[in-house]
Amino acid sequence: MVDPPDKQGPAPAEMTPQERARFEGRLTDLGDRLGKVKAQRDADARADLDAEMRGRGMAYGMRMAAELVAAVIVGGVIGWGLDWVLGSRPWLFLLFFLLGFAAGVLNVMRAYERMQREFAARTGGSIGQKVPDNDD
Amino acid sequence: MPDPIHQFDLHRIVPINLFGWDVSFTNSAAFMVLAVLLTTSFFMVATRARSLVPTRLQSVAEISYEFVAGMLRESIGKEGMKYFPFVFALFIFIFVCNMLGMIPGAFTVTSHIVVTAALAALVFLTVLVVGFAKNGLRFLKLFVPSGVPIYVLPLVTVIEVISFLSRPISHSVRLFANMLAGHITLKVFGGFVVMLLGAGSFAVLTPLPLLMAVAITALEVLVAFLQAYVFTMLTCMYLNDALHPGH
Repeated sequence: MVDPPDKQGPAPAEMTPQERARFEGRLTDLGDRLGKVKAQRDADARADLDAEMRGRGMAYGMRMAAELVAAVIVGGVIGWGLDWVLGSRPWLFLLFFLLGFAAGVLNVMRAYERMQREFAARTGGSIGQKVPDNDD
Repeated sequence: MPDPIHQFDLHRIVPINLFGWDVSFTNSAAFMVLAVLLTTSFFMVATRARSLVPTRLQSVAEISYEFVAGMLRESIGKEGMKYFPFVFALFIFIFVCNMLGMIPGAFTVTSHIVVTAALAALVFLTVLVVGFAKNGLRFLKLFVPSGVPIYVLPLVTVIEVISFLSRPISHSVRLFANMLAGHITLKVFGGFVVMLLGAGSFAVLTPLPLLMAVAITALEVLVAFLQAYVFTMLTCMYLNDALHPGH
């Protein structure tokens, strides 16, 4: 911890110029030390949050994959079933397979929107750490 | 190498045959019953005193209530509290089953897709019933987004229907896949420890997979909670769609 400032120090009016200089030197020194501690604490908090968000990245990746694949499967099964009923193999299967893919992309986009909102609420707008980019 | 899949085997504890169907009481059913008994007795003991200044047990009960109630209020609003018993029961059941699975030697109920699919189907049917009961045919507006030109509307509607039907699949697969993968990984690293111990001079490498197994155990405890949370969160969102289909 930082030492408490010397509150009992002489009032400025009673100080000789040398004393005043030393006093102000101690003040700026204290300010520097406080600033360093604060910066360290902010950096730690940000690193913790960043690590947490990275840990969740894996879970979110799995989720996106599940969203996409599930819709493709459902589309394929619907098409296959319709083909089986109507005897139009393989055309409806192909059509609904593609529609399922579109639905999967829709699912992923919606999941991403939700995720973005959740992240924004936690981190104040940025996902993960900002990495310097040539395109910026 | 110890078989990493062996832990998911079902055994009949009490064989029951009902009209030609095998409805035996298995180890999976036993762990479900255990989860329900644990939950019920915990909440009965924790809420017995009902003191204004909660004891530690009572605080745990209150925190779990607040956690689920907060989720419901946030995603549905105040009228969502009507579905609190359903959502709370889902969350606690999945959470306790996941956590019971973390005890070495215990069976993980949620690592079987038949269980998670049954839960997801329950949510799906609830959404359908609630949606039609509350909104009648207006519930179908869920599939007809507003502001879409009429000539692409049929296409968009079909896509929306497929997207809606895919919900129970992704809902159930996510919980099941996470639990299954986590427990297999744990078992594989545990198997490495045993194999290295019996591999002569390679035994000096044993601490590496052991450390990994410890780290993955910690991760799995987090996943057990997180997946219960995600399942409940999605349930809340789907219920919200049932109550407010117009977006």
